[in-house]
Amino acid sequence: MKDEEINKILQGVEIPEPDEIKKKATIKAVMTEFHQQKLSLQKNFKGIEEERRLRGKTKTFFTFLGEFAMKKSFIITGGATALVALLVVYFSVFMGPSLMMRVSTEQEPVSQSAGGRAEIRERDEAEKNEGVPRHDTFVDDSILEELIVKKLPVNPTEQRELGSVTAKADKETEGFTDADSLKNPSIIATKPMRSMAKTMAKRRPESAGRGASYSLQAPADDYRSNEYKDVGRDKFETIVTNPLKLVSEEPVSTFSVDVDTASYAFVRRQLNNGVLPQKNAVRVEEMINYFDYDYSVPADKSRPFQPTTALYQTPWNPDTRLLHIGIKGYDIVPEEKPVSNLVFLIDVSGSMNSHDKLPLLKNSFRLLVNTLDEDDTVSIVVYAGAAGTVLEPTKGNERGKILAALDQLQAGGSTAGGEGVRKAYELAEANFTKDGLNRVILATDGDFNVGIRDPEELKSFVERKRETGIFLSVLGFGQGNYHDALMQKLAQNGNGNAAYIDNLNEARKVLVDEASSTLFTIAKDVKIQIEFNPKLVAEYRLIGYESRMLKREDFNNDKVDAGDIGSGHSVTAIYEITPSTSKGKLVDDLRYSDKEEQAATTGSMEGEYAYLKIRYKLPDSEKSELLQTPINRENEYSRIDQVPADIRFAASVAAFGQLLRGGTFTAQFTYGDVIKLAESATGKDPYGYRHEFINLVRLAGSIR
Amino acid sequence: MENLKESELVIRAKEGDPTAFENLVERNYMLVYTISYKWCGTKEDAEDVTQEVFMKLSKNILYFKEESTFQTWLYRIAINTAKDLAKMNERKRKKESAYIEERKTSIQQQKESSLAERVHQMIENLPQKLKETAFLVFSEGMNHKEAAAILNCAEKTVSWRVFQAKRALKRNLERGESL
Repeated sequence: MKDEEINKILQGVEIPEPDEIKKKATIKAVMTEFHQQKLSLQKNFKGIEEERRLRGKTKTFFTFLGEFAMKKSFIITGGATALVALLVVYFSVFMGPSLMMRVSTEQEPVSQSAGGRAEIRERDEAEKNEGVPRHDTFVDDSILEELIVKKLPVNPTEQRELGSVTAKADKETEGFTDADSLKNPSIIATKPMRSMAKTMAKRRPESAGRGASYSLQAPADDYRSNEYKDVGRDKFETIVTNPLKLVSEEPVSTFSVDVDTASYAFVRRQLNNGVLPQKNAVRVEEMINYFDYDYSVPADKSRPFQPTTALYQTPWNPDTRLLHIGIKGYDIVPEEKPVSNLVFLIDVSGSMNSHDKLPLLKNSFRLLVNTLDEDDTVSIVVYAGAAGTVLEPTKGNERGKILAALDQLQAGGSTAGGEGVRKAYELAEANFTKDGLNRVILATDGDFNVGIRDPEELKSFVERKRETGIFLSVLGFGQGNYHDALMQKLAQNGNGNAAYIDNLNEARKVLVDEASSTLFTIAKDVKIQIEFNPKLVAEYRLIGYESRMLKREDFNNDKVDAGDIGSGHSVTAIYEITPSTSKGKLVDDLRYSDKEEQAATTGSMEGEYAYLKIRYKLPDSEKSELLQTPINRENEYSRIDQVPADIRFAASVAAFGQLLRGGTFTAQFTYGDVIKLAESATGKDPYGYRHEFINLVRLAGSIR
Repeated sequence: MENLKESELVIRAKEGDPTAFENLVERNYMLVYTISYKWCGTKEDAEDVTQEVFMKLSKNILYFKEESTFQTWLYRIAINTAKDLAKMNERKRKKESAYIEERKTSIQQQKESSLAERVHQMIENLPQKLKETAFLVFSEGMNHKEAAAILNCAEKTVSWRVFQAKRALKRNLERGESL
């Protein structure tokens, strides 16, 4: 057999086309990894040596020296020490006396003439302008510098640089003749030792500063410009801030409640990283609802909540009022907790391979598992390249088994999210407890690139499953690939809530401290409708809830889905309203409007600012109930310091959220004002969440 | 970006430019996939290896020293990854008791299979070092120098291994024909 034959056989192998989907998944995973690498490199950036390598600059004499120095550090250090010693000996023995003499002769004609000073200034200016210190033809300057510099501990980079300085200095030393000093006597004469010392003193920090500026600047053009905002693959739905509305044109405002808190945690993470969050990541209502407020709580389950309302002067605008509506759900006493059937649906795709994703997720679930008991069941489904059941339904008290299953999880592969969702629901259905809580808890960074990839399809799947009584909670992890929009959609359509877990504290808050509200729904499809009285209110604006607005007719339509409230959940909505008597109206009165018509309200309705209606369904019912209450002068506070602390705190969060979103309506209010307002309203704050908030505002203020 | 030279893309990717890197991956996907396929023989394995190769690439490109060309480097990663996978599969297979059975049937099948398949099978069964050399030289059509760069050994070593590989192949083929 000949060589050519073998070659022909081997080269003629038929290669099947690679799978496009797999290719895309690969590229996606690879890009995420690339990103991670970049970030970690940025963190561990160690100055110019790496930077040069990264930039792919070709080798120069100095890089060669540097590498040599790294490889043969012993020889180099020894050599350098010997060189320094030699130079010291040389100058002290041979040059010493002549130097001393020259210095002493030079110092005599210290005439300090005006012209001389100007010269110094000029020289100093010139030095500054050039940036790089100029090496004067001063023998003593360069020698001294050389000596000082050589003895200072220097890093290899500087050492290289110094190599050039030394070489230069050497040359200059050689080149130095008395003729120079003769030619330029004024320079020498007006440059006494003091100014030399000064230049040198300046020079050291300068070179030190140069070193520092490498490490600061180099990332600036290499990495900083690529920071979060530019390369982030986090996806957020665009939010258009709710506009101001005229009561005369649109007296009724309708929206669905939202108990999600994901936005606050995401914002917190960004701020802690020293970056202002992108505007679309800031959902003001979620920030407000992150905090627990002490609203009055109803006594029993049948009437799951009662509203708390307040009206007071807007902190950021003296001409308007804030209408605060707070609802707190009935709080289940721990003994009453229903049996839970939980299915953890965990994303273990390659993109989850990051310390703030899978490991954090495992720890989070560990916290949750520790609160379960023998009546509860837990199953774990994972999805990556393929979906699979890791843990068949297991009793809640078999903690070891559950935790072991959790521990084994490893990230890798692409994301077959759709398949995983299906499997998780299957398990939840198989193990359905009638009077208990049936919930799928999806933990992911929001990446679904295999399986049902169309968000709409996934959404409608979850929507269909909702009818079976299985609820969905979405826990978001990580950053860089975070698909907020999809997760919100899933949670909203799956009768669930979305939370973003950025650290273990947040995990504890969501899964343990507020487990009852995260997990136990007490009312479904909660909608709020407010009708404003045109006689008293001219304009209004709902702060936040942009993604939750409903049509007026949706309120009474039980088929229209809305947000759910869990046990002990508090929901807050804040309207900024402009009283009709106020000077601060943004829209001018109509010249031709019929003033008489507006005065139509009479009798008992006199003094009512608005009328609040809340519709909700009990968890097992398909028919909605109605709660209604007027908001009148009784709810009004004349001074802001009389307003309960909780309500003031909510206002400060609302202000902060609006500032982060650009602050169209917040006038001159600053982060400082937010801090002042919040500090006066921290209340008991047992977990320190409110103090943390104040710190975040400070951070935001300093980032700008 | 599309019409940049590969070396420029590499430099940009090393600077942390994500589009350049993505472009680089796109461009070399088929290359790596082809190598992986030839080495592994199944589409699934080849795709896994390809993904792994690019994961490694993304981990290391920022530190790529340009001591060799980018392609050489990529080849090296690809071959090492493929080898690792093969080793893993081998270990798995050894664990399975049905291993011997399988082996017998594969020998039986050999008789009926085409010459091309047999040549493949034989290369597959060569010792690791000979296999990778044969693979680069015969299958990828590289000259000895290029192969040496990838395998990180002397050109002479490659020549020697090629010679040995050929000898082994011929011997095996002749024996197969005489059977």
